[in-house]
Amino acid sequence: MNLTFSPEERAFRAEVREFIATHLPDDVRRKMQAGDHLEKDDYYRWHRILFDRGWIAPNWPKQYGGTGWDPIRRHIFSEELSYGWAPRLLPFGLSMVAPVIINFGNDEQRTRFLPRILSGDDFWCQGYSEPGSGSDLASLSTKADRKGDSYVINGTKTWITAAQWADWIFVLARTSPVEKKQQEGISFILVDMRTPGVTVREITTIDGGHEINEVHLENVEVPVTNRVGDEGGGWTYAKFLLEHERTGTAGIAACRQMLTQLTELREREDIEDRRFDERIAEVDIELTALAFTELRVLAAESAGTRPGPESSILKLKGTEIQQALTELALDAGGPYEDTALARHYFNLRKATIYAGSNEIQKNIIAKQILKV
Amino acid sequence: MDFTLSAEQVLLRDSVARFAASRPATNGARPDYWQTFAELGWLAVGAPEEAGGFGGPTETLLLMEQCGRGLVPSPYVSQVVFAGAVLREAGRTDLHEALAEGKRRFAIAYEEPHARYDPSRVETQADGDTRGWTLRGTKARVLDASTADTYIVSARTGNGIALFLVPASSAQLDRTAYPSEDGYDVADVRFDGVRLDGDALLVRAGDGLEALEAGIDAATAALCAEALGLCAVMLETTVEYLKMRQQFGVPLSSFQALQHRMAEMYIELELMRSMAYFAAKTLEDETDPFARKRGISAAKAQIAKSGRFIGQQAIQLHGAIGMSEEYKIGHYFKRMTFVERLLGDRDYHLRRYVELTYTATREAVATAW
Repeated sequence: MNLTFSPEERAFRAEVREFIATHLPDDVRRKMQAGDHLEKDDYYRWHRILFDRGWIAPNWPKQYGGTGWDPIRRHIFSEELSYGWAPRLLPFGLSMVAPVIINFGNDEQRTRFLPRILSGDDFWCQGYSEPGSGSDLASLSTKADRKGDSYVINGTKTWITAAQWADWIFVLARTSPVEKKQQEGISFILVDMRTPGVTVREITTIDGGHEINEVHLENVEVPVTNRVGDEGGGWTYAKFLLEHERTGTAGIAACRQMLTQLTELREREDIEDRRFDERIAEVDIELTALAFTELRVLAAESAGTRPGPESSILKLKGTEIQQALTELALDAGGPYEDTALARHYFNLRKATIYAGSNEIQKNIIAKQILKV
Repeated sequence: MDFTLSAEQVLLRDSVARFAASRPATNGARPDYWQTFAELGWLAVGAPEEAGGFGGPTETLLLMEQCGRGLVPSPYVSQVVFAGAVLREAGRTDLHEALAEGKRRFAIAYEEPHARYDPSRVETQADGDTRGWTLRGTKARVLDASTADTYIVSARTGNGIALFLVPASSAQLDRTAYPSEDGYDVADVRFDGVRLDGDALLVRAGDGLEALEAGIDAATAALCAEALGLCAVMLETTVEYLKMRQQFGVPLSSFQALQHRMAEMYIELELMRSMAYFAAKTLEDETDPFARKRGISAAKAQIAKSGRFIGQQAIQLHGAIGMSEEYKIGHYFKRMTFVERLLGDRDYHLRRYVELTYTATREAVATAW
């Protein structure tokens, strides 16, 4: 058992840190530090910088433009992005649809989509939830009816982050009606956002931000070749994607940044309150415990195990800690002191809801780990 | 970064597991396993090589986790881990070797009535003269006092806190054992003018507190590992019971309220596992006492919280059977209840962590903790 980073890993960390410090645009860093919403161009510029360096797709196989890093290096890279105040790149193309295309798509799809995801030319969004299907995702009712070599898609997708910027959307749609299990008959289809019949309606969230949208699909006709994998096999790909999504949502390094900002705020506000300090300490300690849990998951991954139900713990505790930190910051500032603190607190209420609500994560732990 | 165990570590873990499984899991009256442990070589875990020892904090973790799983009430934490770490700090390889061979047994008498876990709150006095020392004071909650041949006692001299070796058979020494709900051997020890030779001084005045803190931290990490074993069994037992127990015509485990509670127990268990490993890593890596204390307090604070939750929920989800002395879950719960508090409860370690992190300067902390 060896629980330390090797000299090579430490050198790699230093290289990444140096690169971010010298290449991240100053205005983007300032927005990140202030907790401001980013624009599409902010994401795009940073995307291009990492793309030019060859560091844009750490989790892709090398043959498609990935970095070829092991899980530990990927972890170090992602930590350093947070420590350097770099934006977390939108995951929908790079971390969600791309792994599905790589694993379940065909060569034509790989050639057509992967280079433009890599270069940042195509922005993507995720068409999973519907007005009537949230936690019970498989109850979705968006339909894709076969018409010759096309599907005609009708339905509404909602809570879609970055749809207002996206060039493409990946959609879960029903290609055959429910017979026995509702998980059957779902297909995974790629839709160009410029196709006639696609409309985007903005949703303002309680923090006043515009991150999410409703996407209406009305007689949207797409070629059958835009389906990834088997017709009716979509649920398998959807679940594969969700497991990848959860590993990325612990946000431990980002929490450490929030913790540092919180202790600075505590200094500025001149808070001398043992009870408050102990509340910070409790979150700080739990964050240490979760960071070590993440290392254990990574070590298992390095040994060849793919992320399993354990990633539910990371999602669940990571988002609870993010929320606790925004809560403490708001407590430190007090009401009306600094609108950014309140907005951040309101905004992060989303964290325990998205990517499978934390109640759903508990169902997963009970069923898949405890086998009840 | 590699969490896989070496062949030797697997061997050690499995042999402790076999031993633990060979005896009943109860905290009723217990035999003294000292000679067995000596024969199996377990007393030498963590001792320096010069003293015939092998392994370190990771081996101690593996051993204690299995002791927890098997509910083995042994003097291991106090007489091997705690005493061993203090002897190492004192540079007494001779005594450490005797301990590792099972020839000598040391108990640490450091906590005083009303000190609330704080080892710096010492009123016991050692007065020096030309022939040696005279010791006066009372130590509370001395673990495994009745089987020790020697006590390691903290006392104030004119120049700060020192540690002394005091034969258990000394005249003017009074030991009052009291009953413990987890089957452990605990006593108050009073020193009423005990005469000591000059060579009874183990750690000189001014360095005693640091040596003691090193011992407390090593022993705390061992308790964290024991807690992990205890809680793993409590969760497994609870899950099995709820799958088997039928009410309203279905297994209790089919109810979502109970499924979520078990999922919460599992999450707490995994956080405990991480912190038990983190504690071992802290002991292994940190040569700086400041960082070591901070890491160990973080571990104990988390484990106390998670362990309390798992224990209380294990009893609750078992229902009335959990209250029965005949059934094993209560025995695990009781031991966890004391492990949670021994050598500092959650409040104590949170306060220590806060001091080390946010409020005090390094220098101020060095004297306070």
